[in-house]
Amino acid sequence: MNDFTDLENQLEELRPLRPSPKLVERIERALSEAASISTAGIVVPRRRIRLDWLALGAGLVTAALLLIFAQLRSERPQNMSQRIASAASTSVAPVRNDSSSFVPEGLTRVVYDTRDEGVHFPSGSEQPVRRVRSHTRETLRWRNPDTGALLRVSYPAEEVSLIPVSGQ
Amino acid sequence: MENVGIHENWQTCFSQLAPGLLVFARQWVRSAADAEDVVQEAFVKFWRRNHNIDNRPLLYATVRSTALDFLRRNTRRARRESDAVAETAQVVEPQFDTADDAQLALAVAINDLPGEQREVLVMKIWNELTFAEIAQVLGISQNTAASRYRYALAALKKNLPAQ
Repeated sequence: MNDFTDLENQLEELRPLRPSPKLVERIERALSEAASISTAGIVVPRRRIRLDWLALGAGLVTAALLLIFAQLRSERPQNMSQRIASAASTSVAPVRNDSSSFVPEGLTRVVYDTRDEGVHFPSGSEQPVRRVRSHTRETLRWRNPDTGALLRVSYPAEEVSLIPVSGQ
Repeated sequence: MENVGIHENWQTCFSQLAPGLLVFARQWVRSAADAEDVVQEAFVKFWRRNHNIDNRPLLYATVRSTALDFLRRNTRRARRESDAVAETAQVVEPQFDTADDAQLALAVAINDLPGEQREVLVMKIWNELTFAEIAQVLGISQNTAASRYRYALAALKKNLPAQ
């Protein structure tokens, strides 16, 4: 590195051009424009703290809503899920139909969407109810035991359940 | 990393750093005016984000990325300018206050250095960054930064006319 000491000294003697006075003015203008929006320097951290509090508040509200929602869901009567489960596995016992060669083989009901539409107060009811809307697809099957032919009918269905909500 | 400086401080900081920043920015742009545009944009961006002015690697990285953005934005214009320059004699606006022919030759030799060596040299000599800081700006190892610096000095020494 010593070989380059003279060269480094020469380089250091080389002075870069000074910026034009207009550059300082332009930066001053740009910074004052920024200051008019958010003021300079010190204010920014304070704004960040305020945003943090806002986020914290929003988080707490969300958590509270989730807790309330979870509690309400746990209060739902068990019978609905039982009803859906039993419906989903409903099967009709094969019955020989003399008038037709097709024998009913089964009914399948698949619940593919259940939407909780919240608490409602139906007219004439003293108790609030929770409205749950289910979309299902029901499939009926018949089979011809002689030929083995299968007849299948499938259709969409919608079911609205009103579940009483206990006040506690 | 918060800048605790007040608004008035920027002039003090800027007046110390400006000449070096301009030489640094000039590597990617053709004129002093463009270099000033780049430095202005980068410095305002840096200052508005309240970065600590002591974080010089970040400041130089901001200038570098602003200059590269500037280049991309002005590709067409730059091409036109380079064509115009190619048609006439190679005219390069001076970056340094040259007192004599020796300094002028040195300035020309710096201009002819490969870009990756020149940027290390510029940061080291006129901006007084350490190799660790230069490495941070460029995203390279400290050893690579030091090597590029030595190569730059060697190239300058070789290319300068004997005195």
